[in-house]
Amino acid sequence: MAEDLNWAIGGEAGDGIDSTGKIFAQALSRAGRHVFTSKDFASRIRGGYTAYKIRTSVDEVQSVVDRLDILVALTQRTIDENTDELHDGSAIIYDGERSWDADVPEYVTGVDVPLKSLAEDAGGAIMRNIVALGAACAITGFDVEYLDEALEKRFGGKGSKIVENNKEAARLGEKYVEDNYDLGLGYDLETTDNDYVLLNGNEALGMGALVAGCRFYAGYPITPATSIMEYLTGRIEEYGGHVVQAEDELSAINMALGSARAGARAMTATSGAGIDLMTETFGLVAASETPLVITDVMRSGPSTGMPTKQEQGDLNMALYGGHGEVPRFVVAPTSIDECFWKTIEAFNLAEKYQTPVFLVSDLAMSVTEQTFPPETFDMDAVEVDRGKLVDEGDVEEWLDDQGRFRAHADTEDGVSPRAIPGIADGAHMSTGLEHDEIGRRTEDTEVRVQQVDKRNRKVETAREREEFDYREFGDADADALVVSWGSNEGALIEALDSLEKEGVDLRVLSVPYIHPRPDLTAEFEAAEDVIVVECNANGQFADLLEHDTLTRVKRINKYTGVRFNADELAEEIKAKLTEEVPA
Amino acid sequence: MSSDVRFTDFKSDKQPTWCPGCGDFGTMNGMMKALAETGNDPDNTFVVAGIGCSGKIGTYMHSYALHGVHGRALPVGTGVKLSRPDIEVMVAGGDGDGFSIGAGHFVHAVRRNVDMTYIVMDNRIYGLTKGQASPTSRSDFETSTTPEGPKQPPVNPHALALASGATFIAQSFSSDALRHQEIIQEAIEHDGFGFVNVYSPCVTFNDVDTYDYFRDSLVDLKEDGHDPTDYEAAKTVILDADKEYQGVIYQDENSVPYRDQHGLTEDMSDIPAGAPEDAMDLVREFY
Ligand SMILES: Cc1ncc(C[n+]2csc(CCOP(=O)(O)OP(=O)(O)O)c2C)c(N)n1
Ligand code: SF4
Ligand SMILES: [Mg+2]
Repeated sequence: MAEDLNWAIGGEAGDGIDSTGKIFAQALSRAGRHVFTSKDFASRIRGGYTAYKIRTSVDEVQSVVDRLDILVALTQRTIDENTDELHDGSAIIYDGERSWDADVPEYVTGVDVPLKSLAEDAGGAIMRNIVALGAACAITGFDVEYLDEALEKRFGGKGSKIVENNKEAARLGEKYVEDNYDLGLGYDLETTDNDYVLLNGNEALGMGALVAGCRFYAGYPITPATSIMEYLTGRIEEYGGHVVQAEDELSAINMALGSARAGARAMTATSGAGIDLMTETFGLVAASETPLVITDVMRSGPSTGMPTKQEQGDLNMALYGGHGEVPRFVVAPTSIDECFWKTIEAFNLAEKYQTPVFLVSDLAMSVTEQTFPPETFDMDAVEVDRGKLVDEGDVEEWLDDQGRFRAHADTEDGVSPRAIPGIADGAHMSTGLEHDEIGRRTEDTEVRVQQVDKRNRKVETAREREEFDYREFGDADADALVVSWGSNEGALIEALDSLEKEGVDLRVLSVPYIHPRPDLTAEFEAAEDVIVVECNANGQFADLLEHDTLTRVKRINKYTGVRFNADELAEEIKAKLTEEVPA
Repeated sequence: MSSDVRFTDFKSDKQPTWCPGCGDFGTMNGMMKALAETGNDPDNTFVVAGIGCSGKIGTYMHSYALHGVHGRALPVGTGVKLSRPDIEVMVAGGDGDGFSIGAGHFVHAVRRNVDMTYIVMDNRIYGLTKGQASPTSRSDFETSTTPEGPKQPPVNPHALALASGATFIAQSFSSDALRHQEIIQEAIEHDGFGFVNVYSPCVTFNDVDTYDYFRDSLVDLKEDGHDPTDYEAAKTVILDADKEYQGVIYQDENSVPYRDQHGLTEDMSDIPAGAPEDAMDLVREFY
């Protein structure tokens, strides 16, 4: 991989850290560089500290690493939090005129820039972070003009004067460093003619929902799912849809269910305690055979846990949540672009099989932005399959001898015809009670068994018809097999690259389908070592795979609230390879 | 919608298993008649039923319907109506369903003012679970779980509705068939959330709030010359705890339903077979 640069800005909440970071990330993306951003890391000291990190390269980047090259520190705390990652080629940009005395580690180059004074010269102290961006441009050999477009995007709504002032602020920062320092740190950010878009997992997921025809979204605010709701608000209306902020998650999922019964493609999304409340309705969605996409953007639990931290702790909840036996699909996108594609697939699965689909993402994916060529989101490849939706002409075929619509007809593939309100002669009731083909309550033993089997058969049919496959990376013949689910994929791919250089070969399987899922028995048998990587303490996915394959696996679990980074993962994999397989 | 729909078209061929004499028979008849009378037909009607004896109505009526989770009928109805403005939505459930486990939804459904009708079949008891206190039970009403009565005042559904910004509040009595139907018709025709609390006696578990009790105590607001558009008059009626009444208590003539507040006109079930034409614009936003 080409040389990467790791940049960060840190300060206190309210310092405009996120928006400044985003401007720099966008500028890098516009300059044809790949970008991977992160905001989800632990504070080593106490709350209140916030930072935005960017890893950038002309090659694809999909993980954070342990190294920091340029740090814009608005507080001493920012320096203290990051000393481990700074090295002798690093530079810290700080404002020596501010009240705090910057304590810069001796091996790091301090770049003292009067951020506030220069910002005032450009029109206002509020622009001091932009001055810092200009300074960063000077240190990294990155043309300050690339910031312009991002500044226009960010401040365009506030008028051209504000935009011009910001551009000036950046230039003053750049000039100050050029005039006063001769650093020779050797950074020279290459640019390319490539066009990239920069987006996070929740944006990709929301965009997927829109193009898949989702027209109704009901939700109740909760981090980190809220940004899906915010993305859809203001956009879904363009397509005739609507977003409702419900009074709670009990209501949100039932509103979405009502919408789906009325024939719309509907979704709800939540996290943490919200998915607990929604559990109440999982069984109804399945029993009434309603196509519904239920998104869980996992965060750290249990209870309120660490609400802004990463965890993949809800796998069992997605698989088993709800009393009784609830047939379902569980799909967990493994990367930001896959959040787009798997959302579209989730809507198709829901309608083709008239079954709840759990779309499971996580906090790390939801807040991380990554660059992609726009054609990654090839809209011509988007397919909408509404399954056995019947129109007026087909209804006749599905009436019983008394003219009643068989909404739960026991078919060979388990999927029944679906009539939506307004279709003549299709009127029928659906219910959470066990029912017969026309939706009438029953406790008849034969009918009960028929309906349970029929609902389960839909998932079996899908297993035959769909490709629930894994994504594979690395060396297919390697003895060591590493398996992961959800957002760990990017860090794994990068760990793979670095281990390869050290002569350690790995086969990596990244599994987006949790239920139904690929059978890994043959893959496990072919491997000498199997390591399952996931962000939880108990190894929920590892348990599942051990059960599937009747093989013991080694486990790498992280539950600090911080996602894996590539360097750490590479070290842990190396260590695991020398360990004995658990008895 | 065809004009030759008869109310029996809304009846399914399933014989109700309610106890003989249960108020729910009359409540349901009035609902079916009102739906037919207002020009609806089963294929354009969606009934959402709660859980309880009352919730069985979804089975005994014929229409598109969902019989869902205890207390969540209003959210389901909201989802149906917002997605399909062309469909008539009627939600029905018990007093426990609506004012206990679903009370939170009631407040917010009232506030939202979605154009649908909400019928609460109020028997002041939990019928299906065989006779426990409900949120509308009297404070001294003895039940298996409250041997000396709940010792807390009953919820006043109309006051709750009024306080939440209701645009239509009514009360009817299942055995006064004509008035009951008439009141539900008005609720259907109201452009907004039409709430009708229906006294629907449970002959098996409630020997206090009986047919005789309601017949003797009910005051008909229509005969009484009550003006439902008069907010202050409505307030007086609602806060008079000593009186039982039937009729339209309050109606806001300037009700602006959710649909109009939010400009919802589309049939959301109608979507293209692939990504929309301008879908790449969504990607370009991320440049
Ligand atoms: C979550 C949940 N809790 C409890 C029940 C049991 N349950 C069924 S109906 C009911 C109360 C019914 O009372 P009401 O809503 O007044 O209806 P009625 O039977 O009187 O018509 C209860 C508690 C349930 N079905 N679901
Ligand atoms: S128990 Fe009461 S409410 Fe239930 S059917 Fe019998 S009379 Fe009606
Ligand atoms: Mg009751």
